[in-house]
Amino acid sequence: MERKDNQSPQGEIARILVEFLEVAITSVVSLKGIYPPGAFERRKYMNVVVQRARHPQLREYIHSAVSGLVPFVQKGLVERVAVIFYNTDDIPIERFIFKLTVNQSFGSNVEESDLEFSLRSFLIKLSVSQTLTTVLPRDCRWEITAYFRKLPEVSASKDAEMWIPTDTKQWQQPPLITPIKSMNSEPLGLQLYLEHPSPSELLSG
Amino acid sequence: MSLDSSNSKQRSFNSTSSNNQSNTSNSKKRKSNQKTLGMAWGANSLSGSRSSFRSSPFSDFGSYMEVKNRKLRNQFDAEASNSSRSDSSAKPIFDGVSIFVDGYTIPSSQELRQYMLNYGGRFENYFSRHRVTHIICSNLPDSKVKNLRSFSSGLPVVKPMWILDSVAANKLLSWVPYQLDQLANNQPTLSAFFTPKTKPADEGTFTHAICEVKHETELLCLKDASKDASFSEAGNSLEWRKQATEEHDKLMCENPNRTVIDGPSNGYSEEPKEVEVVEPSNLQEDDESLANYRLQSCPEQSSVSVSSHCFDNRGIRGSPRSSFIGPSKQRHSTLGDPNFVENYFKNSRLHFIGTWRNRYRNRFPSLLNGWTKSSHSDVSAGLQKTPIIHIDMDCFFVSVVIRSHPELNDKPVAVCHSDNPKGTAEISSANYPARKYGIKAGMFVRDAKGLCPQLAILPYNFEAYEEVADQFYNILHKHCNRVQAVSCDEAFLDVTDLEGKDPQLLASAIRKEIYEATRCSASAGIAKNMLMARLATSTAKPNGQCYIDPEKVDEYLDPLPIKALPGIGHVLAEKLKNKNVQTCGQLRLISKDSLQKDFGIKTGEMLWNYSRGVDNRLVGMIQESKSVGAEVNWGVRFRDFQHAHNFLLDLCKEVSLRLQGCGVQGRTFTLKIKKRRKDAGEPAKFMGCGDCENLSHSTTVPLATDDVEVLQRITKQLFGSFHIDVKDIRGVGLQVSRLESADISRQAPERNSLKSWLMSASASSKEQFDINSRGKECIGTDSEGKRMDVNSSLLHNASVENSVHGTNNASNGGGCSKQNSSIPPLGHLDMGVVESLPLELLSELNEIYGGKLVEMITKRKLQVVEAERSHNSDIVSLSRSVVEMKGEQPILEELRAVPDSGARPNSVAISTAGLENNDLVPASLSQVDTSVLQQLPEELRADIFEALPAHRIQEISALGPKTDNVHHPMGIKSAADNQPGSASSGLSNNMWIGNPPLWVEKFNVSNLTTLKFVADMYYKANSPESLSSILQCTLAESLHPLDATSDAWNEAVHSFSELLMNYIKLKIGVDIEEIYVCFRLLRRLSTKSEFFLEVYNLVFPHLQASIDENYGGTLNIPPHMGCAASTIYSRFELFELEHQSSGFSIYSAVLVHICR
Repeated sequence: MERKDNQSPQGEIARILVEFLEVAITSVVSLKGIYPPGAFERRKYMNVVVQRARHPQLREYIHSAVSGLVPFVQKGLVERVAVIFYNTDDIPIERFIFKLTVNQSFGSNVEESDLEFSLRSFLIKLSVSQTLTTVLPRDCRWEITAYFRKLPEVSASKDAEMWIPTDTKQWQQPPLITPIKSMNSEPLGLQLYLEHPSPSELLSG
Repeated sequence: MSLDSSNSKQRSFNSTSSNNQSNTSNSKKRKSNQKTLGMAWGANSLSGSRSSFRSSPFSDFGSYMEVKNRKLRNQFDAEASNSSRSDSSAKPIFDGVSIFVDGYTIPSSQELRQYMLNYGGRFENYFSRHRVTHIICSNLPDSKVKNLRSFSSGLPVVKPMWILDSVAANKLLSWVPYQLDQLANNQPTLSAFFTPKTKPADEGTFTHAICEVKHETELLCLKDASKDASFSEAGNSLEWRKQATEEHDKLMCENPNRTVIDGPSNGYSEEPKEVEVVEPSNLQEDDESLANYRLQSCPEQSSVSVSSHCFDNRGIRGSPRSSFIGPSKQRHSTLGDPNFVENYFKNSRLHFIGTWRNRYRNRFPSLLNGWTKSSHSDVSAGLQKTPIIHIDMDCFFVSVVIRSHPELNDKPVAVCHSDNPKGTAEISSANYPARKYGIKAGMFVRDAKGLCPQLAILPYNFEAYEEVADQFYNILHKHCNRVQAVSCDEAFLDVTDLEGKDPQLLASAIRKEIYEATRCSASAGIAKNMLMARLATSTAKPNGQCYIDPEKVDEYLDPLPIKALPGIGHVLAEKLKNKNVQTCGQLRLISKDSLQKDFGIKTGEMLWNYSRGVDNRLVGMIQESKSVGAEVNWGVRFRDFQHAHNFLLDLCKEVSLRLQGCGVQGRTFTLKIKKRRKDAGEPAKFMGCGDCENLSHSTTVPLATDDVEVLQRITKQLFGSFHIDVKDIRGVGLQVSRLESADISRQAPERNSLKSWLMSASASSKEQFDINSRGKECIGTDSEGKRMDVNSSLLHNASVENSVHGTNNASNGGGCSKQNSSIPPLGHLDMGVVESLPLELLSELNEIYGGKLVEMITKRKLQVVEAERSHNSDIVSLSRSVVEMKGEQPILEELRAVPDSGARPNSVAISTAGLENNDLVPASLSQVDTSVLQQLPEELRADIFEALPAHRIQEISALGPKTDNVHHPMGIKSAADNQPGSASSGLSNNMWIGNPPLWVEKFNVSNLTTLKFVADMYYKANSPESLSSILQCTLAESLHPLDATSDAWNEAVHSFSELLMNYIKLKIGVDIEEIYVCFRLLRRLSTKSEFFLEVYNLVFPHLQASIDENYGGTLNIPPHMGCAASTIYSRFELFELEHQSSGFSIYSAVLVHICR
């Protein structure tokens, strides 16, 4: 709680954002219903009800994935964080994209509560967005992918080592985008939208 | 006396059947008491109707005793009526007192009996918990003292002198001073601390009964804690409290039964099991009746509760305590004491130490600010030779208290809140003689007593501590202006400025002065830095001083065990020991790198520095505290939720007081709970917390506060989120962080913001209700109005409008006065979502926004209504002129159509407003988040459409063509007036700059009706900075103008498209949600108006191109039905843009999680 001493505003933003992402990603996973409802429990975050994974492994995966992003988010390297759902052929069916913009020149102190108002609305909107999403087939899998603006230098930090370069399968056609929520404040811009394969993609694929 | 000896053993067999005969005049209350009594005591007592009794082999004997008792009592009554003084006007002295004499007394029991006869008291030959109020005896055998509980049943045990003195004084004296010495000495002195101040009415009387019970609780618990593992203290004390209550209750009822009920000689261990059945709710009733009882008939007891030796801080102000003859109205747990929190902190040493700092800061504020600014540079310059003095009082907590006990000067003494020799109270400080016995702080009293039986244990004297600490600092500040207070008895002085003086002489002067002023010794260490000075002090102690020459630092450190260094605790010492490092000399042999590798960067550095006597810290000021809070981990036992709740409220009060004391307010609130581990039994320490899980929840509010009410509300919420059984709670703490200075936050208008949180929710709901009810009225009248003729319905509309308007205004006004000054970014809220939230969530959100949310929603509604109205009147006036112009048109028809269309939307708006207040149906379709709506299942959607006034949709479409006709001539006319090009000039500039943005002005001056209309909407929209809300307004207005063929049409389309493209450019990077909403609205508009269709088709490809460019995809706006769709696609193909693979370098990092 008292961590923010001698931390840059960006560090603080990253911390808040990553914490938020952890919650939001869990909400997405819970929303998609790929685990039984019992795998989640109700918690309060930013004064709204959110879902929290009960299985320690799941929780740990999400936690470690996003917290590994902290140094990159702080430097503004991360452009998008995607939660991607694949079918059995490893073809993405649906992507939840969090597009981040961390203002690198923002100088004054960031209070969590300032961002909280905006971030909270994501969680609220997310919780009613199920119908925007597609129904997943059985036996799908999901992963968290981060898109970087440029390759980060090899970092000494241990957290960062968890992140490895990858080739994710892309759609042939530009996807259909359904925005869910956007916020744009001085220190931080964040957009959440859905990507679905375009109808032509489904035909060709 | 002689009576007793034979009876004491038989008592356990005594029984009574008289409960049944007991006066039926006593109400339910009594019955419930009997019931609980029966449950609690059923096993070894008594009443004839109980099955336990029937099975008792001693039933015959019991009835014999009953008869005997009755007879004795009758005899006594007869004698009393003969012998009592005839001055019946005055109340007899011993009215309500019933004594039982135990053992040998002077005067004898017969004499005492006579006194009771003469002065209106009662005398019992056989002990009964229910009949006896006082036990009289001069001496007690040891076994009885130890087992006081079973002996006295919690009744006061008083010396016979009490009776004599009372008779002499001709009034009933307080029994407290006459309490049996044996008991008084034995009582845990903790009681002294836990004397509630003036007692609230609900627990005055039975305190006496209880207090004894409580002592015994402790004694017994201690004794048998190990024997009886399942022994539940909570249950126990609850039970005892109840018993005491019942006893009093019985007294109150003047139960005529000759009841001899046995004291619990069979031992308490059976009781708790039975207790658990007891409904605590009875207590309330009992308490009340007791309060009454006290008021009516027990003057002596109320006087006792006031006059009893209050060891409460106020009571003893200034008067040093010398003994602990306790009235002992102690409360060991939250169970017994309604003022537990207050008393707890009043008597906590940690609390004293913790809050001392504020006191200090308040005392020496100027001193603190004065030097810190100026001094740092030269301090670092003089670092090499800077002499630092570290001064520490010698066993402060003991020596201060010892001042009033000169006889204890060289004896082992410890300070502790309880001197019960078997107690598990922890020793907080011990003097040097005591330390020789191995007594240390933190040790249980019983262990300490084991080491040193003659150890004297004294209680805290916080008054004196404060006084001495103040003297101490006064002296320090007098000699030196750079003082860093470490705690109430320890400080660093930086004497660099005092070049002229020898620091050693200075130190001894200070020490001498301290001794003279406080009669307590202090030790001092002098060295080049804070570390060394502190180490020097430890060498100097007690009552000495030590100077470490900078050259001899190594020499000093070499043999020093590493544990002596500050910052090296058990764990670190253990680790070092494993590396064969035990002294600083050995530590110094290890390189800095390897230290840092093993212990982390910071710790490694610290070890390396400290082992060399390097310490770069400056003598600085007190650090600002980061958090303020209060925690209670002792004596916390809750009976039920309400009980815990009350405790929390008290804790909040305490925290609020502390915040105010520090002059700060906080934003983050953390509630910590210690929860008993499942398998943990009762802790070794009496009423301690034992093995606990630590749980915590926290929340942050936007505005700092120190307000009790707010704290309490937040804490309640936090507490609710734990979902644990209150019986498992062993400790509660409330911590407030993110502190802000109260002065600053008070400058903000009267911190009403937070108050308004609490108020506005209720206020605004009231307002809403108000509007709601009026709205309903309106609907009612409105529907009547429709049947009226044109004029009157018009008038009516106006009046309806006004009334609604008026209400809203009133509510807004009310809200505004309470509004807070900093406006939270409400604009970020998705109103569509907000409005469809369940009521509870909404009100919670509303609270967070300080009530603004509801206000905003009402405003929104108002706007809708307003918009409707203005549009209506437009139409009407237009139609009038049209009618005048085209006299040949079928006037009647026209008129009928217009008022109809005019009145309807208005009524719709109002009725939806009414509906919304009831069940939060959005005011109109335009406020529904269509993306959500679209995805709803078919039936659900149908329901929603139904809930929305169904005719509205048709209305709008029906309105379209008719009004088009009406508008047409106007449109053409205005278009003709317009200078082509005027609108397009400067369109290439960003039209969204400025406030209001450029385009508003531009559209306004242009003579294009549509554009003007949109510009109007800018002023009507809720949050005009977003196009979506403007479009939403536009949609709500159910326009629409001009179908056109002329240039003006093209012009308008062009301008509007330009506006949109500008907007896309503005928002594409940061807010596609907004764009998405805009285009969905546009699409809907396009179904109603050719104009918007044209615009939409024109801009849509551009939109998709931009989206593709920025996001590598297309916006998912499903094509609209009918012709619109085909147009879109045909246009889209024209634009067919190459899909550029988006400019992201695709470095994606992946962690794969396969789901099962």
